[in-house]
Amino acid sequence: MALDFAVVVIPGLVVGIIFGFVLQRGRFCMNSAFRDILVLKEYTLLKAVALALLGQMIAFHILDLLDIITLNPKPLAWGGNILGGFLFGIGMALAAGCASGTTYRVGEGMMGSLMALLGLSLGAYTTGVGILLKFKDSLRADTTINADDGTALTLGNILGTDLADILTWLTVIVIAVIGIGLIVWKLYLPWKEGGGKLDFTNLFEKIFKQGWKWWVTGTAIAAIGVLAFISSAEAGRNYPLGITAGWLGFLKYFVSGTDPAEAALGWIVFLVLGAVIGAFIAAMIAKEFKLRAPKDGKILLGQFVGGVMMGIGAVLAAGCNIGNLLSGVPQLSVGSIVTSIFIVLGTWIASYLLFMRD
Amino acid sequence: MRKTKLVVNKVTEVTETLDLSGEVCPYPDVKSKRKIKRMNSGEVLELIIDYPLSAERVPETMKSLGHEVLSVEKTGTAEWKILIKRK
Repeated sequence: MALDFAVVVIPGLVVGIIFGFVLQRGRFCMNSAFRDILVLKEYTLLKAVALALLGQMIAFHILDLLDIITLNPKPLAWGGNILGGFLFGIGMALAAGCASGTTYRVGEGMMGSLMALLGLSLGAYTTGVGILLKFKDSLRADTTINADDGTALTLGNILGTDLADILTWLTVIVIAVIGIGLIVWKLYLPWKEGGGKLDFTNLFEKIFKQGWKWWVTGTAIAAIGVLAFISSAEAGRNYPLGITAGWLGFLKYFVSGTDPAEAALGWIVFLVLGAVIGAFIAAMIAKEFKLRAPKDGKILLGQFVGGVMMGIGAVLAAGCNIGNLLSGVPQLSVGSIVTSIFIVLGTWIASYLLFMRD
Repeated sequence: MRKTKLVVNKVTEVTETLDLSGEVCPYPDVKSKRKIKRMNSGEVLELIIDYPLSAERVPETMKSLGHEVLSVEKTGTAEWKILIKRK
């Protein structure tokens, strides 16, 4: 069967190009976001991540209610989520970038990130197809806990299926009220105080040449998450953004030469390819593209090894920082929340060992 | 690293230069922090960075540590020169 250009290739590429552009302009890297709390006491990127999660959570639940999308949270398989998340977290500290950070930096011409990306694809292939497949399957099967109706466990149905609707909306509304309250208090009121005017001068410079403000990045990522969910579901993959599955599919197609229609060369593959193109375009316009590599061979090796660990971890946990953290947490998936906690723990421990002991 | 005194212009005298080109995050941030820690008060550190995120963030980190950011200059495609004065 031939590739479907109208619903798979073109929409995947287009959403990917926008995604990559925003990743590069917003410097949206979760490794930096979580590490910098600890290493640099810096919270800017973390705020962008939090805003993207909040925006997606509200939008996904409203769109699900309106039947425009159908929520599809990942199941809890705690063995895979804990081990995979932890490995992924250590890996991204070594690789100097999470799955999305690594992907956009390849578009900036950073060859160390290309090493990390090769590692990621290889690690994912080893676990999703190769020698670790059996281990992954049995670990996940042995530790899966579903809701009592057999669906994936979420914060909504964790106390029982009959309470699911009430508890889901209660959670969404409480988090939304706290989140929006914080935005009004910390962002809107000070802005209003300071004159309350949006500065549209040098708009071109601001969009194409300078790094973005965190709230611009956070909002843009949330919007792309929604766009991705709709576009991806249209192509038969009912899920928002992801990264690792895309690179795995890309490698799978070239290595095993399966029929493109056999899911390997799906929407998500074109999304990640588009993301590299989008980041490249953004970097070219801002004059930030240059082919460059770390001078120290040790760092380059670390990035490759870190990439392999990320790839293995992402498949064990059924998702990387994008699939689980950015896309799964807003759907209130318990599996994604557990994975995210262990990604952060892993990256904190590795960052402490790598950067803070002096 | 050798201590070199070179005059960039009439006002700023660079005490030491740290070339961080090719370095990925967080190395530019961490290495520049470590470097300035070992310098004396009033000395000027020149940083060469080619990683966009760090070029934006290192000046912020330095400011929050109390050092003075003398200049941030984009010197070419993906290349920045940052001058920091040790507090």
